[in-house]
Formats: sequence, structure tokens, C-alpha cells
Amino acid sequence: MAGEMTLRVITPEAIVLDVRTTSVRLPGVDGSIGILPHHAPMVAAIDTGLLRYRQGTSEGVLFVSNGFAQVRGDLVRVVCEAGEKPEEIDEQRAKESERRARERLASRGKVAAGDPVDILRAEMALRRALMRQQVLGYGSRVRGVR
Amino acid sequence: MASIRDLRTRIRSVGNIRQITRAMEMVSTTKLRRFQDRAVASRPYAQEIASLLSHLAGVPGGSMAKRPLFQAGTGQTSVLLLVTSDRGLCGAYNSNVFAKFEAWWKAHKAAGRSARLFVIGRKGYQYLTKRGLPVERYLSDPPLERIDYRLAKFTARTLAEAFLKGDVREVVLLYTAFESMARYVPTLLPLLPVQAVSAAVDPGAKGAGASAQSDVILEPDAATLLDKLEPRYLETRVYNALLEAITSEYASRRMSMKNATDAAGEMQGLLKGQYNRKRQESITKDLLDIVGGAEALR
Repeated sequence: MAGEMTLRVITPEAIVLDVRTTSVRLPGVDGSIGILPHHAPMVAAIDTGLLRYRQGTSEGVLFVSNGFAQVRGDLVRVVCEAGEKPEEIDEQRAKESERRARERLASRGKVAAGDPVDILRAEMALRRALMRQQVLGYGSRVRGVR
Repeated sequence: MASIRDLRTRIRSVGNIRQITRAMEMVSTTKLRRFQDRAVASRPYAQEIASLLSHLAGVPGGSMAKRPLFQAGTGQTSVLLLVTSDRGLCGAYNSNVFAKFEAWWKAHKAAGRSARLFVIGRKGYQYLTKRGLPVERYLSDPPLERIDYRLAKFTARTLAEAFLKGDVREVVLLYTAFESMARYVPTLLPLLPVQAVSAAVDPGAKGAGASAQSDVILEPDAATLLDKLEPRYLETRVYNALLEAITSEYASRRMSMKNATDAAGEMQGLLKGQYNRKRQESITKDLLDIVGGAEALR
């Protein structure tokens, strides 16, 4: 077998995850990045999205945003601003912020030249909200299979 | 001379004050612990970010030379962020910060430089306004009390923008570093331009990693990574400074409340002694009167 590696997810608030895994999938800024044991050393920027990791036959998922991944030896370190497990995500809040972000984007469209920074922020908020919900959906699916 | 009645009221009011200061001491203790835990929890993140930054600095294409945040500005202006508390009753916490500020200000003026002042905490804002100094930004929302990473992020961004826009020489943080439960020192922390990141990383790792660094895959590339990494690095430093400041505030408050509680207890004891003496005196006097009256009737 290919062996295992350690996945460590570190946020400003805590070390969210420190587990042995057989494969990790990260949301890189230029697309999804898959990492298997014995990967070459790498530093990658990470976007808002889903981090998926496999432990044997079971699979875990995590919401991550805005960070970096560093692979060295058999250690994968993900340093990001948010790292949330499905059970930690508040569905109501995610839905609410999705609605707010959509509203903001819609109203910006009408007023011809909105502040580009504001639009960017709203888009990012929307992305985060959608991704959180996706993590939730994914988490419940994984639990359903078990 | 205080009457018995006066003494009784004083004893009661001192007791009330003691209860309040004791409650505040306990509140401060729990809050202190909470903020301390968070400071500890944030350390791995800050270390990782710092090591990534120093790592990338050694990679071809990751040169710091052209990065604006690493260059000292040309102007004569400095930006200072003063971190104070919102509330009082925390001993010399704020005055220590102000003393440090005055020293800095004097040296700064002597060098013929001007400054733009940013403030966190109501006490600092009041102080500067009373002193007649213009405060450029008063960052009051959210309060430091409810600090989270987002606040640090916002603060760091505000400071970085100020640095990049005007002809600003440097950005300095003046906050209270938390050294131990009994030691909190007002500290000047140069935030920008970013100094060579060496303090956070042990030098041994650097030499060993130098040859391996060129083999590291960078995804997407060094410049993009640095673009994202720089703000994170600033945030971690600001976050840490803010956490330490509020931890120091609570440590200081706890200390002064403990002193107040002790002093109130002592005073209560003293007053009680006086009161008891007085009471005994009047009882003796009354008895003498009664005995005297009885003698006279005989």
C-alpha cells in the first residue's frame, strides 16, 4: 500500500484537525489538488472550498477558506482562516448570508457603477455561504452511507 | 469623632465595595484565562504563516526587494496604532501606555517627523483628544472585548492601506505585551515595513532547507503566494498584539481589584475594632449610670 500521511489543519483559533490519512483533496486557487503519500514538497495557495480526506474507507470533509497548504515529507499542513466540520456549520446562518449576499449583488447590478470592492466582498461572502452549505450536504451524505 | 451610627454605615459601605471588587476580580480572572487560552491557540497558526513567509523569501521569484510592504516609505510621517482599554478600573494599565506614548511622541517630534494616530480603546481616544492631538481613526467597532480574527484582519488591512497610500515611513503598534501574570509591558512593535522574518524562525532550519527549497513545487507561483501571504502575516501579528493587550488589561484589572478587595477587608477590620471599642465604651457608661442611680436611691 501507498502508506499514510498526517493531515494537520491549523486556523487562528485552533488546530482543527490532526489525523492520519491516505489521501487529501484540496481546493487550490487554480483548481482542485489531490495529494497522496510521498508527494513532492509543495506550497500551494488554497481557495474557499471543500477539503476532503480519506482514512481507509471512510471519508471526511471540512470547509476551508483562504489559506495555504504545505507538503513536506509525510506531513500535509493546511494553514487557513476557517476550518469547519460539517457538524459545526450553522445551516441557518449560511442560508441567511447567502440571501444577504445575493441581495447585495442584485442591488449593485441596478446602480450602474457599484464599488468594485463591495461587489468582490459580496461575491466572496456568497461563495463562502454556498460552500458551507455544500459541506453540510456532503457531510450528511457521508453519514447516510455509513 | 465618628459616632457609632456613622461607623456602622461606613462598615456596611466598605463591605459592599469589597463585594463588588471581589466579583470584578473573579470576572477578570475567568476572562483573563479565556484570552490567554486564545493567545496560546493562535500561536501555531502564526508560526506556520511566519515560516511560510521566510520559506518563500528564499525561493527564486519570491524576492522581497520589489514588494511594497517590505520597503521603508520615503516620507517623514509615521502611523501609530495605540491600543488601550475601553473601561477603567484596571490600575496603571492605561497610564503606562500613555507614558510610553509620550516618550515616543517626544522623540518623534524632536526628529522633526509627523505622525498619524490610530486608536483602539475608549481611554486612549479620550486621552489623545483631551491632549489636543488629532486622532485619524478610532477603531471602536467591534470593541476589543469581542476580539476575533476578523477584527485583526480589518485592523491589519486598515494599517496596510494607510502605509501604501500616503508617504508613510513606518507603521508602529503601541500595545501592552503580556509577559506574565504580574508583568505587562507597554511595547512598541514596528509592523511595517515588514522586517526580515527571522525572529520567528530558528536559523538552523533555514540553512538545512536552503537546498531543498528550490525543489519545492509552488502552486500557482511565488508572487501570487506572497500576495496572499503578506496580509496573513500582518494579521497574525496584529491579532497577537491585540490578544496580548486585552490579556494584559484583564491581568492588570484582576491585580488592582485584588488589591482593592484586600484593602477593603483590612479597612473593614479596622473600623470594626473602632466600632466595638465605642460600643463597649457606651455600655460601660450606661452601666455606670445605672449603678450610680441605684446607689443614690439607697
